[in-house]
Amino acid sequence: MPDLIVRATGIEKTYDTGTVKVNALRGVDLAVARGEMVAIMGPSGCGKTTMLNCLSGLDDIDAGEVVIDGVVLHDLPDDERSDYRSRSMGFVFQLYNLLPVLSAVENVEMPLLLSGVNASNARRRSMEVLDQVGLADRARHLPAELSGGQRQRVTIARALINQPSIVWADEPTGDLDSETAAEIIDLMTGLNNSNGQSFVLVTHAIEVGNSAHRIVRMRDGEIVDDGLADGQRNARQAAL
Amino acid sequence: MDFIMYGLLAVFLPALAVVAVMGWRNPVMLKLGLRNIPRRRAQTILIIVGIMISTLIMAAAFGTGDTITFSIRKASIDALGTIDEIILSARAGSGDQLGTATYLPMERFDRLREELADIDEIDGLAPGIGEIAPTFNPRTSLSEGRMRIAGVAPEYLDGFGGFFLLNGDEVRVEDLGPGEAFINENAAEELEVVPGDEVISIIRGEQVSFQVKGVVRGGGLAGDDANLLVRLDRAQEIFGREGSINSIVVSNRGDEYSGVDLNDEVTTTLRVLFTDREVAAGLKSLLARDDVLQDLEGRQLTAPEDLRKDIQLLVRELREPGLSDEFISVLAGDEVREEIFGAVEATGDTEFARQFFTSIENLAEFRVIEIKRQILDLADGIGSAVTGFFIVMGLFSIMVGVLLIFLIFVMLAAARRSEMGMARAIGARRSHLVQMFVFEGTAYSILAGAVGVGLGLVASIAIVSIANRIFAGGGEEDFQLTRHFEARSAVVAYCLGMVITFLTVGISAFRVSRLNIVAAVRGLPPPPDAGRQAVRGQLMEPVRVLLRPGRFFGRSVVALVSLHPGRALSLLLQSVWAAVTVPAGLAAAVTQLLWGPFSQGWLAVVVGALLTWAGMAGDSAAPMRIGMSLVIVGAGLMVRWLMRRAGARPDFADRVGYTLMGVVGVVFWIIPFNWLQAVFGELQGGIEMFFVSGVAMVAAAVWTVMYNADLLLRGLTALTGRFGRLRPVLVTAVAYPMSAKFRTGLTLAMFALVIFTLIVMSILTEAFGAVGDAETAAGGWDIRANVNINSPIDDIHDSIAADPGLDPADFEAIGGYTYIPVQARQLEGEEQGWRGYAVRAADEEFLANNDVDFKLIADGYGETPGDVWEAMRQDPTLVAVDSFVVPTRGGFGEERFGFKLEGLFYEDESMTAIDIEVREPRAGGIVSLKVIGVLDAAADLFGELGDGMLVSKSGLDDAVAFDVPVTNYRFKLAESADPAAVSRALGAAFRDNGMESRVLQELVDETASANRAFNYLFTGFMGLGLLVGVAALGVVSLRAVVERRQQIGVLRAIGYRRGMVQLGFLIESSFVVLLGVAIGVGLGTVISYNIVNEIQEDLETVRFAIPWVQILIIIGIAYVFSLITTFLPARQASRIYPAEALRYE
Repeated sequence: MPDLIVRATGIEKTYDTGTVKVNALRGVDLAVARGEMVAIMGPSGCGKTTMLNCLSGLDDIDAGEVVIDGVVLHDLPDDERSDYRSRSMGFVFQLYNLLPVLSAVENVEMPLLLSGVNASNARRRSMEVLDQVGLADRARHLPAELSGGQRQRVTIARALINQPSIVWADEPTGDLDSETAAEIIDLMTGLNNSNGQSFVLVTHAIEVGNSAHRIVRMRDGEIVDDGLADGQRNARQAAL
Repeated sequence: MDFIMYGLLAVFLPALAVVAVMGWRNPVMLKLGLRNIPRRRAQTILIIVGIMISTLIMAAAFGTGDTITFSIRKASIDALGTIDEIILSARAGSGDQLGTATYLPMERFDRLREELADIDEIDGLAPGIGEIAPTFNPRTSLSEGRMRIAGVAPEYLDGFGGFFLLNGDEVRVEDLGPGEAFINENAAEELEVVPGDEVISIIRGEQVSFQVKGVVRGGGLAGDDANLLVRLDRAQEIFGREGSINSIVVSNRGDEYSGVDLNDEVTTTLRVLFTDREVAAGLKSLLARDDVLQDLEGRQLTAPEDLRKDIQLLVRELREPGLSDEFISVLAGDEVREEIFGAVEATGDTEFARQFFTSIENLAEFRVIEIKRQILDLADGIGSAVTGFFIVMGLFSIMVGVLLIFLIFVMLAAARRSEMGMARAIGARRSHLVQMFVFEGTAYSILAGAVGVGLGLVASIAIVSIANRIFAGGGEEDFQLTRHFEARSAVVAYCLGMVITFLTVGISAFRVSRLNIVAAVRGLPPPPDAGRQAVRGQLMEPVRVLLRPGRFFGRSVVALVSLHPGRALSLLLQSVWAAVTVPAGLAAAVTQLLWGPFSQGWLAVVVGALLTWAGMAGDSAAPMRIGMSLVIVGAGLMVRWLMRRAGARPDFADRVGYTLMGVVGVVFWIIPFNWLQAVFGELQGGIEMFFVSGVAMVAAAVWTVMYNADLLLRGLTALTGRFGRLRPVLVTAVAYPMSAKFRTGLTLAMFALVIFTLIVMSILTEAFGAVGDAETAAGGWDIRANVNINSPIDDIHDSIAADPGLDPADFEAIGGYTYIPVQARQLEGEEQGWRGYAVRAADEEFLANNDVDFKLIADGYGETPGDVWEAMRQDPTLVAVDSFVVPTRGGFGEERFGFKLEGLFYEDESMTAIDIEVREPRAGGIVSLKVIGVLDAAADLFGELGDGMLVSKSGLDDAVAFDVPVTNYRFKLAESADPAAVSRALGAAFRDNGMESRVLQELVDETASANRAFNYLFTGFMGLGLLVGVAALGVVSLRAVVERRQQIGVLRAIGYRRGMVQLGFLIESSFVVLLGVAIGVGLGTVISYNIVNEIQEDLETVRFAIPWVQILIIIGIAYVFSLITTFLPARQASRIYPAEALRYE
């Protein structure tokens, strides 16, 4: 039995707009092993982002159970869930989602400060992580003064700053050109390999999917395929 | 006011019509604009609140002014009834006493009646006697020291209506027996008289009793104050004036309201009739000098139509021989007389001026007093002054309202930037975007203006109620304001509010329409200089705007010639439209053209320097101050521009230039006034300077703070290291407002402005509260008392000694004086006309024991107040004047209507003695006097000593041909005496003399407390601006929740708790409010300190003190309401689910 960091069973989520009911997730089961990088793929509207939101506790679920590192996430009250996110999770989103009024380093140190780390330690560690993602020299710049790729690197640095056991990424390369996207994928896989953190990525981009260990394919709120990514399959075949 | 209304309507209605035409021509933009309104209800409500505040303030100011005008008018008309003019004898007879009107024989009245019989405009002429006598009611033991005994002739009541009992029944004076009288309702109330009571009046030392036959309604011949009505023959008998009368009242055709319309006509006719033709002929030959005629001809050029005709006639008559009625008629006109006075004074020939003014005083046998017109004019004057005062006081709030409207529309534009970019991308023109905003703004303002006028009315009702309570508390129970609101005022307030909104919306719409399409669609920051044309294009734009109507018209003609009538009509309409919008287009083009030179600074420096020079040349503070501020702004911009050109980093150049301009600006506005005087000389400034300085210094301070916000942020970041998990909340709460400099700056400016005004008002109220020191105001006296002039006290010391209810040991000193209305002129003054003034002829004991301080003592008359009083005792030609007749350098509200000294200011450090002449108008004798001191304003401020020059009583004996009995007393009491008890005992002991006494400390306290209450009222009125500030914070917070929805999602995703999101918003508001409060309190305190210091030079009792409790209350109210307004958006933000927020774009 592999060491699971995420164990989701029978997840259901329905959006009710008052006039229309949309079954976004229909009894989804998913398990992610520690240190594994999983890509969730599928057509628009299939429920990828909803699944990521539900698994990470950003959204509530209607049925099922999500256990992260032994913690039943949706049993936690809202504040504890927030604390848990700040301690144990990292997030990367498509539109970078940095706070425009804070500099790169201030954005990165935010989760540490929220976890109660003192200011000077937080700043030191943030600079280290920015250095890791190659942006130490841009630490004082505001997001508006950075390129798209640099912004996404800052987002990744922020996601990794508290050494989370799992990083959730929603279309991390969606707003980037192919060259920058490749750099970001390399950065994430490199960090995954070196730090052993788990990554759950929602993506449309096959290159991103192929760089993961596993690809989960979804359609109409259900998982229709769960298997090794091409890269892993090739590597395994090569090894065999 | 009518002129203002029509003027505003002339601006507003066409503007509205233009908007309507725009809507008709472009229904799509109209629909888009209007559809925005219901999109966010809470925001719409806040916008409407913000917009309506300006209208509300103006409507409240107008409403209060209307109420005051109406109340005084109503009180005057109620009091005068159908009496429109009063005719009095202009010359005193030998038997006349001071303080009574001059008597004339009844036969003269009968002759006069015949002379006036043919004048259709007059429908009533009644002779009468009016004398004041102390009266008491033995049944109730109540007394009235100033009861007017009115003798009414029953056979001459035509035109005046009758007398009516309170139940409405008519009663007739001819039915009164010799010992009977009617009493009017005020007197009946005072003495608690019921029909059948006997009342006793003290007349010439004798008790005369009357049986009250009925209580009649006041007004008209029944009088407004306490009146006892008897038959004329009975009045003549009891006053020893058989066959004489002392007043003639005139009723014009029409009722009590319409009669006043004939006032000018009747007055002129009567004056011509009463003119002494011999004196008029003398005046004519006196005035027929070339220099006077030339001066008068010069005056016609600038005179209004009617006056110009009169001056023309006068000049023509002066050049022709003989004396015509036309000449007399023109000479009798008040306005023409003023012009003649001016021309006579302009000759510089003092002897000639003296002859003229002496002659003109003897021109007529009778004086005609246009009593109703004068009182109604006074009512209108006071009403308009009150309106003006409230408007000036409300200017800050109006300004804050304008800032809010601007902020709202700029934020709306920011919110809709992307959709506007999209609209531009698919073909919408800039003008379409402007129109869209104008449609939306018009819809808001039409609604908000109406609500604002309604609420302004409610606010004015509240102000009136509070004022009535203050009047009642201050002992003015008789005068109560009656709520009244003119439709005209509603129209003016509404139009003013709409015009302000139109302008603000237009400017902000123009600003937002200059967006860069790509940046707007992609949500990127605007590139620098977005929307700016090349210089050549800018230069050509005004020409293009001017030519546009012609171009369309030409094309229309071409289309018509080409037989395309539809297109021709459309082009013609476009031509008309282009012509109508020329002023707006021209203003925009010129602004854009001048923007370049202005942003480089030199244009601002040049304009500023010119304004400064104009201010200094015209001795006017406002242009100088504004000019210098422009110079400072220009210098900052120049530094910034030069640094940029020299290759400095733009943000560094901005910081240096803008900080320089802000800091120097603040310093310039807060340096003490006397330091400025040393550089720029003495400059005149009115109350408007308060507004100008407040706006300027707050703007400079906010500017400085906003351009150095990052330093503040850095400091705060360092400081918050210890706050642990709260630190990120604090940091973001400061970072967000500081990143939106424009909107934070505007909100900050609003709060700072409002708090600034409230702090200044509070400190000044406190400072003037300290003036209520009875010791200074009362000159060391404890009790003041007045007795009736017809029943004076022979020897007050003997009378006190003889009275068992009084103990002479209680009195340390008793001073007395008589108040005599006189005319005065300054010997060496430019103004040589006799001007109304008063003399307080004081006895030895008053002069010896008076401790009133002096502001100015003439050189050579000693150093201390005691020296001056002693000099006045020794030399009866020496006088001390009150501070009202000495002009101040500020000069606010000092219209000249009485005597004023020339050649010195109240603020001066020293004076030389001034020679004046004083003349009692009826006796005519002239006395030469010398002014050797000016009393301290503290003694006048509370009206304790009243106005009038103080002189030794013996000095006036030559001038006044009749007895001068002491009517005003001052008592200085022994330490052991109880002033209240002694005051009561004095009233009882001298009841027959009509004595009314008051303890001075109580009087001073009452006045001070009424002053304070009025100041609180004004503070409250100015506090309306706080509502705007709070609404602004609400708008900003609501907007922030919408704008930051996604960022809130991110924060929640990375670990922000709900409470932290909420707390972040509240801290953000607190940051803006507290920073605004700090700026407002700081600047308000500094400027108040300067003001108090400045006033202290004139009024030493003013003390600078900070009313901490009141200030804390103001800050508390501002803060709590701001938090309440922010709480809802903050709560809304905290409830956003992270996944939902992240989905939102």
